[in-house]
Amino acid sequence: MIDSGSVKQLAGHPFDRRDFLKVLGWSGAAVALSGCGNTSIEDGKETVVSYVEANDYMVPGIGVYYNSTCAQCDAGCSINGRVREGRVLKLEGNPDSAINKGKLCGLGQAGVQHHYNPDRVREPLLRNGNKGETISWDKAYALIAEKLSGVKGEEIAFLSGGVSGHLKALLGNYLDSLGTKNHFVYEAVAPGVVRAANVKAYGVEMPRYRFDKAQVVLSFGADFLGSWVSPVHFSQQYAQFRKGVNGQRGVLVQVESKMTLTGANADRWLAVKPGTEGVLALGIINALGIATGEVAELVKGYDRARVSSETGVAPGQIDKIAALLKLRSPSLVLAGSAAEGYAHGSQNAAAIHLLNQVLGNVGKTVEAPVSVPFPQMAPAKGNTAALKTLNDGLAAGKYKVLFNFAANPVFTAPGAFKFKDNLAKAGFKVAFAHYLDETALQADLVLPLDSAMEDWGTQVPEYMTEGAQINIQQPLMERLHANTRGMGDIVLTLIKQRRADEYKAFEDYYAYLRGAMLQNKGALGGGGVDDDTFWNETLTQGIVKLAGSTGTLTAHAAAAGLTLPAPAASDEQYPLHLIPGVTASLRDGRHTNQPWLQESPDPLTTIVWDSWVEVHPKKATELGIVEGDIVEVTSKTGSVKAQVYLFPGIHPEAISIPVGRGHDAMGRYAKGYGVNPFQIMDAVFDAATGELAMHETRVNIKKTGQRVLVVKDEGSAGALQMGRKIAARVSTDQVDLSKEV
Amino acid sequence: MYRFLRLPVLLVGFFMAASSYAASNSQPALTTEDALGPQVVQPIEFPHNRHAGLHDASDPTKGGMEINCQYCHTYARRSAVAGIPPLQKCIGCHQNIESVRNKSRIVELFKYWDAKKAVPWKKVHDLPDFVRFNHERHIKRFIEQQDRPVQEACGYCHGDVKEMTVARRQKPLAMGWCASCHEKDHPVVAEGGTPIAGQAYWYSFQKPAAAQDANTKARGPNDCWQCHK
Ligand code: SF4
Repeated sequence: MIDSGSVKQLAGHPFDRRDFLKVLGWSGAAVALSGCGNTSIEDGKETVVSYVEANDYMVPGIGVYYNSTCAQCDAGCSINGRVREGRVLKLEGNPDSAINKGKLCGLGQAGVQHHYNPDRVREPLLRNGNKGETISWDKAYALIAEKLSGVKGEEIAFLSGGVSGHLKALLGNYLDSLGTKNHFVYEAVAPGVVRAANVKAYGVEMPRYRFDKAQVVLSFGADFLGSWVSPVHFSQQYAQFRKGVNGQRGVLVQVESKMTLTGANADRWLAVKPGTEGVLALGIINALGIATGEVAELVKGYDRARVSSETGVAPGQIDKIAALLKLRSPSLVLAGSAAEGYAHGSQNAAAIHLLNQVLGNVGKTVEAPVSVPFPQMAPAKGNTAALKTLNDGLAAGKYKVLFNFAANPVFTAPGAFKFKDNLAKAGFKVAFAHYLDETALQADLVLPLDSAMEDWGTQVPEYMTEGAQINIQQPLMERLHANTRGMGDIVLTLIKQRRADEYKAFEDYYAYLRGAMLQNKGALGGGGVDDDTFWNETLTQGIVKLAGSTGTLTAHAAAAGLTLPAPAASDEQYPLHLIPGVTASLRDGRHTNQPWLQESPDPLTTIVWDSWVEVHPKKATELGIVEGDIVEVTSKTGSVKAQVYLFPGIHPEAISIPVGRGHDAMGRYAKGYGVNPFQIMDAVFDAATGELAMHETRVNIKKTGQRVLVVKDEGSAGALQMGRKIAARVSTDQVDLSKEV
Repeated sequence: MYRFLRLPVLLVGFFMAASSYAASNSQPALTTEDALGPQVVQPIEFPHNRHAGLHDASDPTKGGMEINCQYCHTYARRSAVAGIPPLQKCIGCHQNIESVRNKSRIVELFKYWDAKKAVPWKKVHDLPDFVRFNHERHIKRFIEQQDRPVQEACGYCHGDVKEMTVARRQKPLAMGWCASCHEKDHPVVAEGGTPIAGQAYWYSFQKPAAAQDANTKARGPNDCWQCHK
């Protein structure tokens, strides 16, 4: 208990000027003391604003909660936002969603900083030389109409990130009214190759993975706990997998050249030579010895010795994995972004899928997906091949008008594309933007968007579980800035320029959305309910759950056409592979201006607010590099300089730089922090799909002579245990996997 | 390298500063007395006395209307913060009181209403952000559990508001002053005659008896985290 005498001494004592100066004279820190006891500091100064009219449920200091959808990535987690005094304060997951079941990732949590961000664009801006001049929305719309008039459909291009729901349908109609088919859906980090390989192997782009039913998960570079497809959902299934079926805990084996968050959680982490994931998969099939027919024929050559020398994985390890997979069934084998990022990415993925099929997992842990019964709302999935087509078109000067929404290609296109230069050849560039990011800065007209917490919308996620769902996005609070607009409202206004009659019934996007939903009330599970009740319930729940239609899975991964290239010859000039690290919080860098994301330490290196180059300690010794050295990383395309972090979780023949940092625009929390590895990426493509091979860039590193203190959370000794034996360890060659599991 | 020196230098400075402060201030005054806050100019001079003051039996047009504080300050019993009544509340009554409709203050009030704009009242009572005072808890304790008159209970901290026009801070609202009440030994007996004291009482695990025994005492919550959360 507090001694009240001393409390009073601190509390109410008036602080006179002499005391104050005396204290100030000693130290600036003491100024804090003068605050103690002076309560009621704002008496008569601060304004306290009340409501003009308030509903009964609006009580100052008491939160109200609204359901909506996380817009930080495409996974489609449902959120529940706490709103107090009309301000959204904190987001949680909506427990009713089958996708995230009440959980939310760190990136999702930072969604409020998307909304309150001080660097948002607030007014429509029209280029005047190097400046943007504020114009009215009416003028902006008139300008777009003017620029579009007389322009042929094929001279118009629309670049966007992944879109789905009613916005996708409306946008499709708008592009149709313009007579253009040039909708380029681009996501810098997307499983484009894996989708295509999935179609070949399973008959669907994205099957449902059942981690919870698997006894072993063998993942070839799929960072499903961090950034792959639907990480919050997978994390929950992973928890189930770890608890085990019948008390038998699942075993995770991760194969990759750069350790990801998932790799760090694995029971066994295997570093393969970059690009040899497919070889290892075939080697495992060979070691299993259960394949027959042409598959057996295919893998015949992939004996232990060859596979081991090509992949760098010890022969004993291959046997152990094969033994484990034989012992425990069903298992689940995944091909992730590390396997697909090569010129032979499709082949890698095909080999991995073949392993899945040989193991008999298709139909057990790989299930048919569900889809919404409204194909026009299904997601338009982004990939990188779309950017290539657009870039070629731009280079050829094909486009007179270019729209850009939810993509930042000037930042994320590989340096070899020279995208910025090509973009300049487009006639009139319109950017629908949240920030003045690198791409918006190149635009002629910038139109400010509402945040996800101010806007209406629907979203259909690519990856769904337990039935289909349509996610509802609704405003959690009023607009912060009077002159931002929702993307739906903008597209609706634009389409009215072309098809006024068809859309005149809809005053705004909200009316359009409500009308469209009510029209299909029956199919959406609202049969027999009156309109208002249905609509209010939909908004309250934030999710419309549908039975959905289940696709069919075909197991026809085949050996035919599967050829893996011989290991790449070593390159004298550029001996190292550059692996772009995709982190759970920054992803492709579209949210880097949210300071929480900059501030939360990378889970593996604990570095904050900066980029780093991961170098294997052995390689570093060879090159005479220590932690904190600034090195120059050079590829055929360009070079960047960044600090070195010695990381045992990377193959000695590779280095890794995380993507997402290194902005030279966007806002105060993004600009000038770190480097952008996209800039030095070569334009190499997967042969089968035309997707960008993100892991194919070769580099060399040189010391610059500068050295810095790496700002990170782990101890200065590189997380050494200082002889305290906090976690005991054994070297891998002394572990007997069969005893372990 | 100077960076490493900065912390020790700071600490030494801080220590010396703190000791010089403590040395020259051995006997501070108690803070339980009334301490008037500044006279705050409000956009509308709201007459608390007219609304909450006592009836004048001799002349009903003078005097107050004895409106319960909680009629307007309705959030206080529902939330940690008392808030300010919504404008709608004022209008709810005043649209039916023709007799004062043309008074300058009411004209002003309706101007805000017609423009649907909030009145920019100035804060009269403000605590630092590291203090969490909970109105609801105090009202439960004094008005609902102990059946004290509303004006008395509110008055512990807000003074005799029914005598004021524009409210003015009457108490220091500093920690020593809060503690001066929380440490008092309040006589309390639980229902059924058992004496109760301390936290059980405050958390209302037991109800106090209607008739109290003067020998049983209780204290207000006295843990730091009650207010500094
Ligand atoms: S995975 Fe994270 S960022 Fe993506 S939708 Fe879910 S919560 Fe939002």
